[in-house]
Amino acid sequence: MKQVSTTASRLPLIGIPRGMPYHRFGDLWKAFFKALDIQYVESEPTTLRTLEEGTAVALDETCLAMKLYLGHVMNLAGKCEFILVPGIKSFGRNREYCPHFEGLYDLVRNSCRDSRQKLITYQVDEPNGMSEADAFLELGKALGFGGREVKKAYQTAKREEQQRWQKRVLLENAKVRESGLKVFLAGHSYVLEDPYVGKPIRNFLEANGVTVLSGPVTDREQAMKNSGVLSPGCKWEINRELLGNLALKKKNIDGLILISTFPCGSDSMVNELLTRQIDSMPVLNLVLDSQSGMAGIETRLESFVDIIRFKRGLM
Amino acid sequence: MEQARKKVAFPRYAEYNCGLRYLMEKGLDVQCILPPKLTKRTMELGAQNSPDFVCTPFKTLLGNQIEALEAGADTLVMTYGLCKLGYFGELEKRILRDMGYQFDFVDLSDYNTGKKKDMLRALRAINPKVKPARFFLALAEAVRMTEYVDEITGDYYRNRAFVRDKKAYDGIYRHFLTAMYAAESRHDIEEGYHKAKLELAGAPMDRPENPLRVGIVGEFYTAMDEFSNLEVEKKLTDLGVEVHRWMTVTNRMLRYPGDNNLQVQIKDYVSYSMGCNTTANSWAALDYVKRGFDGVIHIKSANCTPETDAMTVLNNISSDSQVPFLYLTFDVQTSDVGLQTRLEAFYDMLAMRKKVLR
Repeated sequence: MKQVSTTASRLPLIGIPRGMPYHRFGDLWKAFFKALDIQYVESEPTTLRTLEEGTAVALDETCLAMKLYLGHVMNLAGKCEFILVPGIKSFGRNREYCPHFEGLYDLVRNSCRDSRQKLITYQVDEPNGMSEADAFLELGKALGFGGREVKKAYQTAKREEQQRWQKRVLLENAKVRESGLKVFLAGHSYVLEDPYVGKPIRNFLEANGVTVLSGPVTDREQAMKNSGVLSPGCKWEINRELLGNLALKKKNIDGLILISTFPCGSDSMVNELLTRQIDSMPVLNLVLDSQSGMAGIETRLESFVDIIRFKRGLM
Repeated sequence: MEQARKKVAFPRYAEYNCGLRYLMEKGLDVQCILPPKLTKRTMELGAQNSPDFVCTPFKTLLGNQIEALEAGADTLVMTYGLCKLGYFGELEKRILRDMGYQFDFVDLSDYNTGKKKDMLRALRAINPKVKPARFFLALAEAVRMTEYVDEITGDYYRNRAFVRDKKAYDGIYRHFLTAMYAAESRHDIEEGYHKAKLELAGAPMDRPENPLRVGIVGEFYTAMDEFSNLEVEKKLTDLGVEVHRWMTVTNRMLRYPGDNNLQVQIKDYVSYSMGCNTTANSWAALDYVKRGFDGVIHIKSANCTPETDAMTVLNNISSDSQVPFLYLTFDVQTSDVGLQTRLEAFYDMLAMRKKVLR
């Protein structure tokens, strides 16, 4: 990686787009930058405008999540010196990420070329000898820090990230013991946690008195071990975690909602397998695209909630 | 009594099934069931039973596997790949079982650890009594056959536009393929290849001094399979275009120089390996542009994720070089009138451009 030139006294302002990898690695980035005393700025939460800005630069056939990500990048363009765009290929065999995650840096570079915004990156590809720790070391060095300093910052950041995660998982797992209707939301974190795409669905369900279990929030190691129950050959890490989490909580839930963005490659296949594997409960398969109204989705959610109520004998 | 040989089928994959058949029969000593050629029915069977927005090759392959089972296969072999292809096997197995078929399924992605031990396990799953020495000999010969198929196919489409007797020329190519599908030994392969090579070179031709040259890049299945891309290459040659296609098994697998080696040549556009065929296709497109081709055609199936990534890069290559790129996306439709119109328009535009630029 090229050395980023900075004046000795001043560190660059880094932009963090709140899309795709943000919802999985964002805590780590922020903790890492904090440990190194680097200033960062996050893009504004997703709105219709984010989608419009993203759609303007994205390829029309690409998935909704990618369009939103590019919208976040465009939102930051010109407001910071570098935008952090990672490339996440793989953490090992059958722990792969989708091609958009792999080529994210070059996709942004080519899509947002006219904005002339500078980017900074780290590339994780463990099977080819580039672990996350090594990748962060390169990132820190490119920002002008010494090796030892960066390693320490990464370790601190990793610890902090894991602590935060464990707290979330603890809260999430407590929901399983609640007595009301429970619905498992299976979808990528960047879909479910996005305030424009996934949050409204979650809020609607909760307003209708349903306890929502979030698929991606789980003890990742344990989930990975259990992913083979539903699909032994799945190769995508995010999907495997969902599969494993679902296998663990299957007995305690009343319904399953699959949420994917059109046309998500991994979901198009894994969700098909899931609907064939799960026969003990009602399954709703929601595919989201760039529509802006919620009415159609609300009708479907309402009738789904009615179905699981009816099944439990609550109607 | 000798135990009946397994009847193994691998779905149709462009014209590479001749090599696969040779490998299975000579190297693994099983009977190879060659599934019927892809037709409209294949697509319908596949689309009916596949998930909604999975990429089109999944639907095609599933339809072809159904046809293979109907044709009497008892073992299906499925390969793996860098993209969704790595998950095809598991889902196909499940769908076919749900449809009520009974068969053995060998999913090579279960063995893709890159260790020799696991490769042998995969072979034993197909035939427990496999003799590795024999297998590797047959593999070398099948690889040779694949290289010949790519070479002859390349020659054929490069020159087809200019031969005087297209019918006879097509005949040479078809005969060559038949010879490859029927080959029983190294000798048959060599003989078929040399005969076709000589005949193709000897066909009388009126080659214009400066014909329109178009390069084809694209997805690993649809760009190569003439049924899936509605015979794009043939249609182009009918219009009088010299057609080149970099994307072949030979170039992408057998002689691939590696992402890193190609990347240094396209560093103006791509900084890191982008996965799947994105780097390869970007490199190939830029190479065509540098070599002065008149146009580039990018072929992919609907909902192919890696190729949409490649298109992002190709868009920039096209606008920087001012060379026209045509993007074709193929789904399960089998009507080719729309495609014909688009190709004619593209051809007219290239021809006019060439006149003006010269």
